[in-house]
Amino acid sequence: MAESQPPNRPAIHDNDTELIQAINSGRSDLFGELVRRYEQKLYTFGRRMCGHPADAEDLVQETFVNVLRYLKDFRYETKFKNWLYRVAASTCLKQRRRSKYAPERELTLEELAPEERVEPVARVPEWAQMPLEKLLNEELSRTLQEAVHALPEPYRLVVVLRDMEGFSTEETARILNLTEANVKVRLHRARLFLRDKLKGYFNHEM
Amino acid sequence: MRCKASAHAHCLELFEKLSDYIDGELDPAGRLAIEAHVSGCIACLACLQTLRQTVALCRTGTDHPVPQEFSRKLSALLTVPLRPTAG
Repeated sequence: MAESQPPNRPAIHDNDTELIQAINSGRSDLFGELVRRYEQKLYTFGRRMCGHPADAEDLVQETFVNVLRYLKDFRYETKFKNWLYRVAASTCLKQRRRSKYAPERELTLEELAPEERVEPVARVPEWAQMPLEKLLNEELSRTLQEAVHALPEPYRLVVVLRDMEGFSTEETARILNLTEANVKVRLHRARLFLRDKLKGYFNHEM
Repeated sequence: MRCKASAHAHCLELFEKLSDYIDGELDPAGRLAIEAHVSGCIACLACLQTLRQTVALCRTGTDHPVPQEFSRKLSALLTVPLRPTAG
């Protein structure tokens, strides 16, 4: 899990740097502090990526085991958090193949990509103009989560990292080892897929 | 005046850029082109608004609390190598 960054990238100093330097200098007793800092974020990421809580727990556990194993290779050329998500995304892709909860068959790209069309409409749908606090409820959150889980994994990773975890296009590209253009294409398709699921939900609800 | 088919092709061309527009990742000329187009095309305005609302809904997600039992198990697992070995 060594970083494959261009050489001579300046070292990045952030809130985690001193902790990681201490752990890598032999203070392995401080690893628990690193776990405390990130277990909540990683568990939420796991729940967003995996359909089943047990898979999310496996993802968090395996990610931290991998971090423990590879932390000595961390070169401070990116924020630790971004490196951690890179480990988590890689772990997620490997773990998915073993999960008994993962769907037997994922959507193909053709099934995912909505037909490129601009539908004739008379007006902007009401749900697209309402304040979020009036829209949000448990059923909608569940519908959205199910739609995210229905995305093929490469698309799900991009939309979760960009729109749910808040990483930039550039950071997402580095975490997933993709080009920024590729991230943008996947993100747009994933969003269109989610939008179609939400349209279905609101057509039924409103 | 554009014919219907070329107008639709123009819609599709802009449709591909809506995510970049929402993310503020379009250059000024691209931004202006979309804003000029949606001010006169209700179908594209609906596309933009529904996509923007979808992104906004994705961003409202809250944390899933870590189960306490799992947190304890994780902590125990990751500190195992630090425990003194017998003998």
